[in-house]
Amino acid sequence: MSFPLRLAVYLPVLFLIAIVVVGQHHTNARDTLRAALKRMLRWDLWTLVLLVVMFGLEFLLIGW
Amino acid sequence: MAGRAQTWPNRPGEPGKPSTAGRNPLTCPPAMVNRVARNHARGLGLGAFLSGFVPGLLQYQLGQKRRAAIAFVSCFVLFFVGWVVVKERLYYWALLTPDTPPGGGTGTLQMLARFGLPITLPELLNAPANAIGAMLAWDATPSGERLWRLPRAFEHLFAWLTAASGMLAAFWSAAGHWDLRWRRDSGDNTPAPSANPALCAALSWLVPGLGHARAGQKDKGMLMGAAVVIVFVMGLLFSHGHAVDRAEASVWWIGQNLFGGGSLFAALVTGPWERIGATQELDLGVVLCTVAGLMNLVVMVDAFTVAERSSFPLPQQAEVKA
Repeated sequence: MSFPLRLAVYLPVLFLIAIVVVGQHHTNARDTLRAALKRMLRWDLWTLVLLVVMFGLEFLLIGW
Repeated sequence: MAGRAQTWPNRPGEPGKPSTAGRNPLTCPPAMVNRVARNHARGLGLGAFLSGFVPGLLQYQLGQKRRAAIAFVSCFVLFFVGWVVVKERLYYWALLTPDTPPGGGTGTLQMLARFGLPITLPELLNAPANAIGAMLAWDATPSGERLWRLPRAFEHLFAWLTAASGMLAAFWSAAGHWDLRWRRDSGDNTPAPSANPALCAALSWLVPGLGHARAGQKDKGMLMGAAVVIVFVMGLLFSHGHAVDRAEASVWWIGQNLFGGGSLFAALVTGPWERIGATQELDLGVVLCTVAGLMNLVVMVDAFTVAERSSFPLPQQAEVKA
């Protein structure tokens, strides 16, 4: 599966999961959507961090 | 809504306000009510939890004999309508089957499984029917074990029915727990819930978000429900409809079945499709459908909580209301 397709699946699914997770702390759809967008961006950052760490470990332990 | 609000505390056959005798939530002494008022998150105890595995037992203990009978019969009938077709094959899909473990010998859990406690989820939530079904189906001979692997006609649908009996037992249990909490914690000034919390959870199992609509949060329910359905449909599309198949991926199916409406659709429509070759994205589809099921578990719990908090708000919510 190509990288753009992976991204096209990963990001929307992350957003949909964020809707369900943050929905527990809100009472209406508008607040839930706003909070889900923020939460998804935060999760994206964590994903990037995770990728950098994994590539770093690969570089250290296996080589380029 | 107003009609429900007036009739809720005094439904026929249901106990009224907190009694003053006894030492557990079923009899609710005043001292416990006072403690609960300080700790809103306090549970109902191990006894009530374990009683929830026998459909109708909590209702019986609460004095709701008619509801207890309906709970017991509905769960048993649903289970055995499915069991008549799938029989021993159901236990082939269990997390721990009653056959001899690799390397020979007999493990403790295998022994328990042989005596009617196979870890079949979600059927285990309807513990008595699951145990009786396991004991009736158990055949230790090699030919008996071969039968486990033999596909049955319409097994997707009938396996869904046995699973639905487990989920139904869980919702009856949730209803019993709610009635226990109402008896323990409610006072004269406690408002009636916007809807029965257990019913909200059950509705969300079938149609994600419907429980929220019933509890009074329609737009949020539609949003959360749409999120679950989109992820589930993506999973089915990626796998060409083969992601939700109890016979092929029984452990993943436990999670997928947490979205009951979706797994029913798959059992009726996509499950019986003949699989021609392996789709490249089958794994992705299986994972997405399982994620959708787990997302719906959150939706179900939230629907229950929304209805519950309409009567028992968190302390800060109560202050805002005041």
